[in-house]
Amino acid sequence: MASGIARGRLAEERKSWRKNHPHGFVAKPETGPDGTVNLMVWHCTIPGKAGTDWEGGFFPLTMHFSEDYPSKPPKCKFPQGFFHPNVYPSGTVCLSILNEDYGWRPAITVKQILVGIQDLLDTPNPADPAQTDGYHLFIQDPVEYKKRVKLQSKQYPPVV
Amino acid sequence: MGYSDDDIIITDSDSEEDNYHYTDGDDGKDSYYEEIIEHDYTSNRQLGYVVLKEVDILKHQRDDIEQVSTILSISQAEAIVLLLHYRWSTSKVEDEWFTDENRVRKLVGILKEPILEYNNHGGEVDIECGICFESYVQKDIARVSCGHPYCVTCWTGYIASKIDDGPGCLKFKCPELSCCAAIDQDLIDRFASENDKEKYYRFLLRSYIEDNGKQIKWCPSPGCEYAVDLVGSGNYDVSCLCSCSFCWNCSEDAHSPVDCDTVSQWMIKNSDESENTNWILANTKPCPKCKRSIEKNMGCMHMSCPAPCKHQFCWMCLTQWDTSCYGCNKYDKGDETEKKRIKARQAIDRYVFYFERWAANQSSRRKAMQDLEKLLSVQLKELSERQSTPESQLQFTIEAWLQIIECRRVLQWTFAYGYYLPSNEVAKKQLFEYSQGEAQVGLERLHHCAEVELNQFVYNTEDTPKNFSDFRNKLIGLTKVTKTYFENLVKALENGLADVSKSSTDSTSAFKRQKAGGSKSSTILSNDERLAEEMQLDLYENIE
Repeated sequence: MASGIARGRLAEERKSWRKNHPHGFVAKPETGPDGTVNLMVWHCTIPGKAGTDWEGGFFPLTMHFSEDYPSKPPKCKFPQGFFHPNVYPSGTVCLSILNEDYGWRPAITVKQILVGIQDLLDTPNPADPAQTDGYHLFIQDPVEYKKRVKLQSKQYPPVV
Repeated sequence: MGYSDDDIIITDSDSEEDNYHYTDGDDGKDSYYEEIIEHDYTSNRQLGYVVLKEVDILKHQRDDIEQVSTILSISQAEAIVLLLHYRWSTSKVEDEWFTDENRVRKLVGILKEPILEYNNHGGEVDIECGICFESYVQKDIARVSCGHPYCVTCWTGYIASKIDDGPGCLKFKCPELSCCAAIDQDLIDRFASENDKEKYYRFLLRSYIEDNGKQIKWCPSPGCEYAVDLVGSGNYDVSCLCSCSFCWNCSEDAHSPVDCDTVSQWMIKNSDESENTNWILANTKPCPKCKRSIEKNMGCMHMSCPAPCKHQFCWMCLTQWDTSCYGCNKYDKGDETEKKRIKARQAIDRYVFYFERWAANQSSRRKAMQDLEKLLSVQLKELSERQSTPESQLQFTIEAWLQIIECRRVLQWTFAYGYYLPSNEVAKKQLFEYSQGEAQVGLERLHHCAEVELNQFVYNTEDTPKNFSDFRNKLIGLTKVTKTYFENLVKALENGLADVSKSSTDSTSAFKRQKAGGSKSSTILSNDERLAEEMQLDLYENIE
């Protein structure tokens, strides 16, 4: 895709997010110590859905955009070791719409990505396991799985 | 163009496009080729396959597109989308379409009504592009059937990046999240660069052969752009117009009487030593469906083969991936490693024995191809002058060489056959070794006659015409008898020497005389014996 479109698009994403975004979510570009804004890295927060074991958790997620964006999807990372069947040990989220070979489309917005990941939290996809811990408990020990999810949600209280 | 297989690439300037057509014979050489090729081509039809040139493929493809476009009253671009979805089956497209047009439209992404309504009247209305989020006037915006608006620049970039990603671009969709609308050829024509368009149409042509329910495959010879359409069934050995003979099923060199699985095992075994293969074996696995080597570069075990195959499987056990893979965690107890180690040394010796013979026949076959070429380009003319015989009367020398090439090929593969013949099937093994031995002897005689004796007539002026006539009869006889013997050998081996278990009462068989250990005989055997005896007689009669 034409070079240089990444920053323009991200600036527009930022504007559109400011105008309107889903409740409880946070998404903003990284700000350096000197106050400069880096549009290529966004720090986000995804709230666990109400009525699920993820409720009460506000999960930090970093989005890394490349110069090829929006031709190529951003890389979305939870903190290392995040407990979820579809999150790699490194924290990278494994989700079809974030895979450039399959689900990614250039018109997918930051908002759609974040809502998509929120959905994924409580509806993991057992066909695409990315870590052993989360996957095995999800398949073999639902009680323990639930416990771990709730514990993790407590570990990420709302940032005041 | 001479006879070659895919290991020999003829790179001289003669092998340009024009030469594939075998049309003009400005000298004797070309007209001979013409005859040979023509002869092969007609018999190919009987054998059940047709070689398609690029123009033929394009024509078939265009005909299919036009047919669908006419019958369904849709644009050609839409017809292409449909045909791509239904793997170029016009009947399937028509069936599905007339059963439920709306469902098909949605499924393949050619919508009748746009999902997103848009105001077409005001050309001045600001429309936001869904990719760069900038505002544009109507004329700078383009849409596919769904109506999602994107600016010309973003379409151009999107299409370029998709074509750059490979053949998957044939089936790519609107940039909107989970929108099903297909990007059709019209949009490609409008926004892709000339270079990308060329790539796109190449993918489209390839898809007609590769992603096709029909029985068409590319010739595997490097640089060859022909495809082979298998019309009949049963026989997989085909010869492309580029003179490459290959197995239609597995794309290796033609390998009758050995089956494809054996060949694949054998070829892997042969290249075991090479660094590349070691790396491939260590780091990749073949896709269980299309056999392409796949390197695992992501964490999870769920593998998806790239387009056009798209097969999904489990990396660990290679079974098809449904929603998950169960059962590949149980250990299946293999052979004891100790025993294996002891056997290993013997196994290597045994392998080397068969490999040497396999490879020797292969190189002998290549040499024979070169000799045939030499015959056609130089010797035939000289021989014709020396013996004052028209070249058309010397056809038998060419036939002898073609037979030698074919026999070397068969003999070569009998060594792979022999390697995999179970050692506990004693009777089969003995029959096999006897038949193979006879074949080898017969072929050596024919080869010697064509190679050494023919040269005497080409280069030695002392010979009288009478001698040449004897030689002629001898070579024709040897060619014929060797041909019959090898054809029977191939049949018997393809049949898995199945008749070996049937008993025969023929007690005077040469086989029993020679191989006292083999208590069983067979109809094939007596057939072979008859041939072998006939062959020996003929051979002895003809050889001084």
